[in-house]
Amino acid sequence: MPGMGVKAVGARINAIATYLPQTVLANDALAEAFEQSWSADRIFEKTGIAERRIAAPDETALDLGVGAVRRLIESGSDLQSIDFLIFCSQAADYILPPSACILQDRAGLPRSIGALDINVGCAGYVYGLALASGLIASGAARTVLLVTADTYSKFIHPRDRSVRTLFGDGAAASLIEASDRGAIGPFVFGTDGRGADRLIVESGGARLPRSASTAAEHADDFGNVRARDNLFMDGGAVMSFTLREIPQMWAELKRRAGLEDGDFDQVLLHQANRFMLDALVKKLKLDPGKVPYFFEKIGNTVASSIPFALEDAVARGLISPGSCVGMLGFGVGLSWAGCVARF
Amino acid sequence: MNELYSGLADIFEVDSSSIKPETRLEELGWDSLAMVSTLALFDEIYGKPVGVDKLKACQTIADIEALAAG
Repeated sequence: MPGMGVKAVGARINAIATYLPQTVLANDALAEAFEQSWSADRIFEKTGIAERRIAAPDETALDLGVGAVRRLIESGSDLQSIDFLIFCSQAADYILPPSACILQDRAGLPRSIGALDINVGCAGYVYGLALASGLIASGAARTVLLVTADTYSKFIHPRDRSVRTLFGDGAAASLIEASDRGAIGPFVFGTDGRGADRLIVESGGARLPRSASTAAEHADDFGNVRARDNLFMDGGAVMSFTLREIPQMWAELKRRAGLEDGDFDQVLLHQANRFMLDALVKKLKLDPGKVPYFFEKIGNTVASSIPFALEDAVARGLISPGSCVGMLGFGVGLSWAGCVARF
Repeated sequence: MNELYSGLADIFEVDSSSIKPETRLEELGWDSLAMVSTLALFDEIYGKPVGVDKLKACQTIADIEALAAG
């Protein structure tokens, strides 16, 4: 704290592991399901996505999260010393208790940890990093396990091309530790609840319980079929919001960090799809060589999309100790969050 | 051929001669993918976002073109 002679404790992402369900949904199967109204080639050309993974009927986001945590342990991370678990998902197993509590038990994590769920979508990874680094800076924790996991496929109507082409299921586990080396921050956040209905699963919560009426299917102007029980995304509105807000967030993040474009080794955008990232790269005037695309084999995995891209960038040597990385998440809420992470 | 027309030809995967002011969007396959691509194209060319509800109301190429002036 300023003036108290106490130096804020830095935090660092020390390890990351991801997990995917087994079932592959490829574009040719989608084209068939859509009665060839969109060809497999067209889906790939526009979205950049060739296939996605789909959770089994009895496999939940929590199960995927357990898979990611097990992979983290297998890769050598010791989770017996963690102090806190954050589980970021929009598909909790139960209304209550929180999935994080069940994850503590399932993954064999210590009983001495704090554990909570946060419900954030595509901005969720940056939110999780903010909470983790805040817990560390305050001294409340020294090591935080952040697990992101989602199963949007379970919300999606099989005949809704606008979302079924894009989203895939998956999970990621990240270990964030107090460190003199590396840093996470500054952060920039944004929220615009006026757009809450532009990306939504309307029924199933307290406002609109599921019923025969919410299960009634209807076709939209583009011939996509869904019910109020399903995921609805107004893709145009989300594109508009992204092009409006993300450039401002990126400029503000650089200003707060005192950094310029050339200072970043990599910029990890939420891995939405090709047309969204192409538009953002142009709009933000980013060097395409510094902006990984990681959705061809997995689709848009919501809050796990940035850690999937991060894991891959680390594996390919694009991010290594000393790297300066920008991370920008945006989506359901409408909500957006960005940060700088130094490795 | 202006930038908007050639961009729209790319989006709809048609020859640029098929893009005329009076061309009806539904004939070109105006779907959600085409709409998000058009939003991005519009922003790229004119440097300003177009309201999604305004774009949804468009029936023809000329209607989209009019949004640039508006």
